[in-house]
Amino acid sequence: MKKRAAILVSVLLVLSIAGAAMAAYPEKSIQGLIQWGAGGGTDNFARAVTPLVEKILGQTIILQNRPGASGAVATTMVVNGAADGYTLLYGAENPANYRVLDLSPLSFHDLDPVVIAVEGAVVICANPETPYNTMDEFVEAAKGEKKIRMATSGVGGLPYVAGAMMKNIHGTEFNYIQFDGDGPGATAVMGGHADVMPLALSTSVEYIKAGRLKGLAVLTTKRVPQLPDVPAITEIYPEYAQYLPWGPFYGVFAKKGTPADVLATLSDAFTKAMEDERFEEFVKNSGGFKNGATGTEAVSYLEKFESTASWLIYNAGGAKKSPAEFNIPEPK
Amino acid sequence: MEQSFQYFLIPFLSWEMMLLIWAGVFAGIWVGAIPGLSVTMAASLLISFTFSWDLNHALALICGVFVGGVYGGSITAILLNIPGAPAAIATGIEGYPLAQLGEAGKAIGLCTTVSVFASFVGILALSVAAPVIANFSLKFSPRDFFLLAVMGILLIGSIGGGDPVKGVAAGAVGVLLSMVGMDPSTGELRYTFGNIHLMAGISFVTAMIGLFGVSEALTQFRNAGKKSPKQNLDRIIPSWATFVKYLPLSIRSSLLGVFIGALPGTGGDVAALLAYDQAKRTVRNPSRPFGTGAYEGIVAPETANKGAIGGAFIPMLTLGIPGDAVTAIIIGALYIHGLKPGPMLMIETPHLFWMIVSCLSIASVALMVLGLVSVKPFAKIIEIPKEIIMPVVIILSVIGTYAIQNSVVDIFYMIGFGILGYFMRLYGYATGPMVLGLILGPMLDANYRRAMQGAENQLLPFLEGFVTNPISLFLTLSIVFLVFSQTKVYRRWRGFE
Repeated sequence: MKKRAAILVSVLLVLSIAGAAMAAYPEKSIQGLIQWGAGGGTDNFARAVTPLVEKILGQTIILQNRPGASGAVATTMVVNGAADGYTLLYGAENPANYRVLDLSPLSFHDLDPVVIAVEGAVVICANPETPYNTMDEFVEAAKGEKKIRMATSGVGGLPYVAGAMMKNIHGTEFNYIQFDGDGPGATAVMGGHADVMPLALSTSVEYIKAGRLKGLAVLTTKRVPQLPDVPAITEIYPEYAQYLPWGPFYGVFAKKGTPADVLATLSDAFTKAMEDERFEEFVKNSGGFKNGATGTEAVSYLEKFESTASWLIYNAGGAKKSPAEFNIPEPK
Repeated sequence: MEQSFQYFLIPFLSWEMMLLIWAGVFAGIWVGAIPGLSVTMAASLLISFTFSWDLNHALALICGVFVGGVYGGSITAILLNIPGAPAAIATGIEGYPLAQLGEAGKAIGLCTTVSVFASFVGILALSVAAPVIANFSLKFSPRDFFLLAVMGILLIGSIGGGDPVKGVAAGAVGVLLSMVGMDPSTGELRYTFGNIHLMAGISFVTAMIGLFGVSEALTQFRNAGKKSPKQNLDRIIPSWATFVKYLPLSIRSSLLGVFIGALPGTGGDVAALLAYDQAKRTVRNPSRPFGTGAYEGIVAPETANKGAIGGAFIPMLTLGIPGDAVTAIIIGALYIHGLKPGPMLMIETPHLFWMIVSCLSIASVALMVLGLVSVKPFAKIIEIPKEIIMPVVIILSVIGTYAIQNSVVDIFYMIGFGILGYFMRLYGYATGPMVLGLILGPMLDANYRRAMQGAENQLLPFLEGFVTNPISLFLTLSIVFLVFSQTKVYRRWRGFE
């Protein structure tokens, strides 16, 4: 019985490999590697968009979470695979910082963007019992004697980079405490185990509405519709404009060198899927904004992000290697 | 109130939901029983699978799988000494000796009954005290999680087998292995030798499958040809008197489970181990000495890990904070289905809360029925000759490991741990402490450093926290007591010796 099954499986395998050599893309199921664990922002995005894309492509996308090393594990797997569009990376902004943090020699330059799907904003959040109620008061308090405890998701993560921006502009130093991500960090701030945390809008919006967290400012140039009462940072400190727009994003990527027609098929499918009502609803509810950049537009988006983030991390002392080593231009 | 009741009735009025819950429990029992196939994995697969479904139906199925899966892990622990999930490790310590004595049926029967009871304790806590418990769980600081982990490490004394030195050695190696990968706080790479696979760390589930599954199978090959113990299957359902006898322990352990489950990030595995330890220290006259088949040692971890199910939903439904890995995935499912999990969830969508309470209740009833019906066929598994069942175990271990993240490297790890475990057993080292070290190592490491960072890396303020914060003080005193209770002075005073 087992032997017969084994033969059957191997025959099927051979057939599927042989079949893949010809015919138009996509001819067989596609592997989708998710950079982060189940239940996280990247995972939610992947699972929300994929069923819609599958319908358009007429092929299954087999999703797998391959978390680890800030997403470098999944990124490496995609780059080690073939550039045929059958292995996709569902990822967030992290590969932009791998090189300066010395996590991996890879970066977005080793990938071809299929689509930059969703972007988010970052809100500076505080525990409701902290004495500062506005961004101004917060900056004053941060300059004071006692260091404010800021929760982060580790060196190089978004909260860390936001902290670096504040350091650059106001000269404020924080006592960083590292948590396992936005969620656990937000929990710690609510429980009073840290005072502030720059959090993705998607993580924080419900807590702010419920009064569990205090939103001090959004790191954008315009107020966001989800939080009309929280000021945009440039209303108070226009000097932040030099770093903006900046924030988390989720996208889909293929290995560099994927044939142009394959890439175009994929980009079209994702663009179309993102127009689905259910995806729009998902983006709205999760506190994000649709971006939808593909092709060269997506490439320059990634380059700008890389330049802003890596130089901020470097100037804040968190980088192991200088961005100059990798010819990452300094932001203007 | 009336409205809550109406919401509670939603699953009862839909035959599809009823069917899905029962099917979920049934599938969950099998998923849980196979080492490596976990509830977390099943839940995340189901989310893609149920994307186009109505949310209520999807949740009904996931709740069923959750309840069934936690139970299933214990069955193989009792029958084959191979826990299907970390939450069942403690159960195997007492359950397997019982199966060897021919009492597997009685053990599973008792396990089923107390499991259902504990599951209802969890549901009750969820429905009457959720906001209170959730707010309290937020008060747990990194320092307190550190103390909980220390408490867990002390368990090595309980599950370490005969020789304490060997137990500590195995535990220490486990902690050491848990350090491999990225430093949780700075991202520095530790013991990775530039290897990308080591960068992702060593998963404790992979290690567990090897150390329990494969190493048990290899060990059993030494007994090939020997006749398996005859199982007595006359009285499966425990008598009322038995149930009442274990009631105080059941209540205590299930409440502990509810609470540990409600703490963000800790779930049934930690709860079950702490409950087992607690039972071992406090039960005066166990049915047999602990380690040789004490029924109390099954009741405590089983009630704790089932209580933790309701517990894990507490912060999830009230605050949008996952209590464990499965509820983290359910939060994702809610997002995908267009809901906004968070503190407003209960206010904006109150039906969801009561519907989940109801799904869990139905799942618990289904567990009672399906669990008791399958005791006899399950118990027969032991009577299958070892040379047939153990290769099956090895095959399932390989499949289960691969299924975690479709990684061939994990299979090599798993087999490596299996061989290591075989030699550990041969030389009298228990494998439990090593898995414990792998589970608790990261919790110790990350939380100690967070607590230290919170005190600006100053020793004095750091130590001050242990006595000035009421929760930390309580936990510190508990640890002192745990250690003290092992001394001769105390044991003589309490009449244990």
